[in-house]
Amino acid sequence: MRLLSKLSTVLLAGATAVTMFAGASSAGEFDGYTLKVKLIGGAQYEPLYTRIPEWEAATGAKVEILSRKNHFELDREIKQDIASGSINWCVGSNHTSFAPQYGSLYIDLSVVLDEDVVGAISENVNNSSMVDGRLVQLARHSDVSNLYYIKSLYEDEQNKADFKAEYGYDLMPPETWDQVKDQAIFFADPPNFYGTQYVGKDEGISGRFYEMLVAEGGTFFGTDGKVAFNSPEGVRALEWFVDLYEAKAVPAGVPNYLWDETGLGFASGTVALNLDWGGWATFFNSADSKIQGDVGLIRAPKGSSGKRTGWSGSHSFSITEACDNKKAAASFVTFLTNFDSQLLEGRTGLLPTRPDAIAAVIEESRAAGNDWLVEVFETYGASMAEDAFAVPSTPLWIPISNELFPELQAAIVGEKTPQQALDDAAAAANQLIEDEG
Amino acid sequence: MSTQTKAIISWIVTFIVMLIITMPGLWVILSGFRPLQEILAKPAIWIPQRLTLDNFYAIFGIGETQIAIPVLAYFRNSIIIATTSTAIAIIVGISGGYAFARYRFKFKDTLFLGLMLSRTVPGIALSLPVFIVWARLGWIDTQFGLILVYVALNVPFTIWLIDGFFRQIPKELAEAAEVDGCTRWQAFWKIEFPLAKSGIASAGIFAFLTSWNEFALASNLTRSTNSKTLPVGLTDFIAQFTTDWAGMCAMAFIIIVPALILTFLVQKHLIAGLTFGGVKG
Amino acid sequence: MSVMTNIKRKLFSEQATPYVLLLPAVIMILIVVLFPLIFSLYTSFTGYKLTRPDTLFKLVGFRNYVRIFGDWDFWVAFFRTVGFLAVVINLEFLLGLGIALLINKITWGQRTMRTIMMFPMMFSPILVGFQFKFIFNDNVGILNNALQGLGITEAAIPWLVDGWLAMGAIAFAEIWMSTSIFAILLLAGLFAMPKDPLEAAQVDGCNAWQTFRHITLPFLMPFAYIAMTIRSLDVARAYDVVDTMTGGGPAGRTELLWTLIARTGYDSANMGMANAMAYVSIILSIAFTYYFFSKLVAARRYMGGAL
Repeated sequence: MRLLSKLSTVLLAGATAVTMFAGASSAGEFDGYTLKVKLIGGAQYEPLYTRIPEWEAATGAKVEILSRKNHFELDREIKQDIASGSINWCVGSNHTSFAPQYGSLYIDLSVVLDEDVVGAISENVNNSSMVDGRLVQLARHSDVSNLYYIKSLYEDEQNKADFKAEYGYDLMPPETWDQVKDQAIFFADPPNFYGTQYVGKDEGISGRFYEMLVAEGGTFFGTDGKVAFNSPEGVRALEWFVDLYEAKAVPAGVPNYLWDETGLGFASGTVALNLDWGGWATFFNSADSKIQGDVGLIRAPKGSSGKRTGWSGSHSFSITEACDNKKAAASFVTFLTNFDSQLLEGRTGLLPTRPDAIAAVIEESRAAGNDWLVEVFETYGASMAEDAFAVPSTPLWIPISNELFPELQAAIVGEKTPQQALDDAAAAANQLIEDEG
Repeated sequence: MSTQTKAIISWIVTFIVMLIITMPGLWVILSGFRPLQEILAKPAIWIPQRLTLDNFYAIFGIGETQIAIPVLAYFRNSIIIATTSTAIAIIVGISGGYAFARYRFKFKDTLFLGLMLSRTVPGIALSLPVFIVWARLGWIDTQFGLILVYVALNVPFTIWLIDGFFRQIPKELAEAAEVDGCTRWQAFWKIEFPLAKSGIASAGIFAFLTSWNEFALASNLTRSTNSKTLPVGLTDFIAQFTTDWAGMCAMAFIIIVPALILTFLVQKHLIAGLTFGGVKG
Repeated sequence: MSVMTNIKRKLFSEQATPYVLLLPAVIMILIVVLFPLIFSLYTSFTGYKLTRPDTLFKLVGFRNYVRIFGDWDFWVAFFRTVGFLAVVINLEFLLGLGIALLINKITWGQRTMRTIMMFPMMFSPILVGFQFKFIFNDNVGILNNALQGLGITEAAIPWLVDGWLAMGAIAFAEIWMSTSIFAILLLAGLFAMPKDPLEAAQVDGCNAWQTFRHITLPFLMPFAYIAMTIRSLDVARAYDVVDTMTGGGPAGRTELLWTLIARTGYDSANMGMANAMAYVSIILSIAFTYYFFSKLVAARRYMGGAL
């Protein structure tokens, strides 16, 4: 083994010498090496992978994609790999919400990556990519949410007059979540039209609740290491969801909605306000959408503490501890998150994590006369830099979420009071924490 | 009412019932040929305005689509895994069914019940332990690994059906052949096996459909185009935030058609096989 | 040499033959079912976390089982599963019987009709789940669209949210998927039915209902029990459907044992607990299967066959 690595160092040196001589890039740096990777699949993620052959050509390595699945499937697969001790791959797709679960599977990237590679990415995003003070992920794009609305509703004079008469303030795109509630109830006309909607199950509703909790000034964990979401702030946060549901201002099916349903629902023109990520922006304003040309976008509203909601995660890449060629892996993830890669993803509407890539997408869109994309990236760029925060960095986030979300649903559909639901969830969550400790 | 009107009425009633049964499935297949916005429009568009092969082009990566789904590889895996595991399950089933039908031996009833009960274990309880064992043996993401699981899944039921079928054939036939100088094997192969064909065919179609459509275990034990089957391939259409329902419907069409053709072809045997197979001990 | 012949003789001796014939089946079941089951039985006594291999050796005694027995949510899911199975299997039987009787009557185009009848069997459970998730969607689903379009209701009915409606929707999907199995087996039974008793009954002046009740139905029951045994063997297939349609939610209203186990084991990575739950649920499946199986054996005896 040692001989082999020595040999490869010699080869490497030779290769470097050759490239220096040729004055070209590091061609052949990893000649003959096969890098095994597990990547997230799906229409939004795959255009980036068309760049992989470029990296192969530049380095001489081959990339073998062992699996290409959606993130929930990939998460299960990685857990199985850990359980069976079969980590025979180097690079895996990762996500902020999932990363803390994997323990020591992934290495601290700040050790193997150049400082300027890490530094090129928004600091706020890098902070969220840390687990236990280790940078385990290199983010490729981010999924912070902002508020879309149907513009014409706010321009309608009749609406303006009626709203002012009823609520005593001017009808404007909402600045706070309380205003969202007022306006959603005002616009709702079930079953044909709804004021707003929210994802209502799995980690989706847990995360939405969490960001509302933060915006209300609450915290998820207390100082004693136990959960603290069953606070007055938590109850206020949960009441927002409950009130809208009771007022029928959201579709009755929301407890079963994920991001699919909210995105498609908004595009069908039957919802006034919709908090969603940037990935939908192009679709909302395309010919496939009923509201083409009528879509407005503002920063996510504030809670009563004056803080904006900004639950976000990043899709990212990680390198395994078991990787036999961390250099090649580092070169690979660097390549897939570099300026050109992020520009490619940005053009499809995904939010780059590099400020310079965002600026470039905005520049490009402006030159092409695409005012919508300019607006989208300016809004999302600002919220990524200022509002974004990730879920608490603990391996228990997903298990706690699994205890929390059924209770949130119980409150939303009126089976429990918000306080009772949160108390029950807190008890179950604290049990998990106890078992872990 | 004359017999003829009665027949016509019962035909019409049956036809309507069948229509209701097939409706949800037909809607899926039709959706495979429609653009996504039209399927999920509100109010619904009942009469398709535009039929298109775009969803299929997208799957196969023809024209200016994004990334193709490796559907040919999935199809190849599905065919290999489903047919091989069915064939093995049938052979093992004939062997076991014949033992139960023709021999008396110790622990016969216990063995029989044990085999049946092995099938009651929910896949979800098996998936992780099987995974860990398979990982140690290097069988993850191989066709072989999945074939083995499917054989075990199907064997109890094939044994049962085929057992019932052999009981149905009078012992005297084989005995007469042996008196005429055939070996036991020849008697089985020339006399009993041909008579049991229909039963074996019906056990086969059940086994095939189970393997062809199985998802829970396959999604755990497969990883890549080496072994991923068509039902697992369906999840390629689900990303974190979106589901490509139109693409999924098109894929559904690709999964269903071979199974449907096969079922139609073995129709005759299926009914005949089940008639005598399971019941007449 | 002599050892070989000895073994050979033993293998082909009349006593050994059945065991040899059964050997492949038994080996398969041992590898794929029994060994894994022993492993999961062991883990059910540990605090095994999927993402932390070292916890595999952290024995916790009966803690998982004690927790389960005190866990209200688990027992709600348990009895919901029992109720769900009882309702679904009986409805599938009745509907399957109706369809079989209808198809048995027609003479023209029967083969095509039979293929159509088996159409739902071609659908993978996961596909069935997606299909009905989209049909029952409250906003853009075709069912609500149809009801609103026809003026039957003004409201958007929350099919997958309301407790009863959601269970109903899941049951509908499950029944749609599996009624064919009953229909095909009962149809086979009708085909096998001797004509003499029917004619005799008509001569004796029985009406159609009496004939059905006292002659056809008893004859069909063994077929029904076969179908029920098959179904209860296979019933965990419903997992894919439920998981896709509601994932056990909202607020645990459609939680069945399988969704609960899968979420505990994989999403929360608490495999030790999940395996303990799985063991309790295996007992349930065994009870169901054993019940139908003993019925089947009794019915076979009644038919005069010797098991």
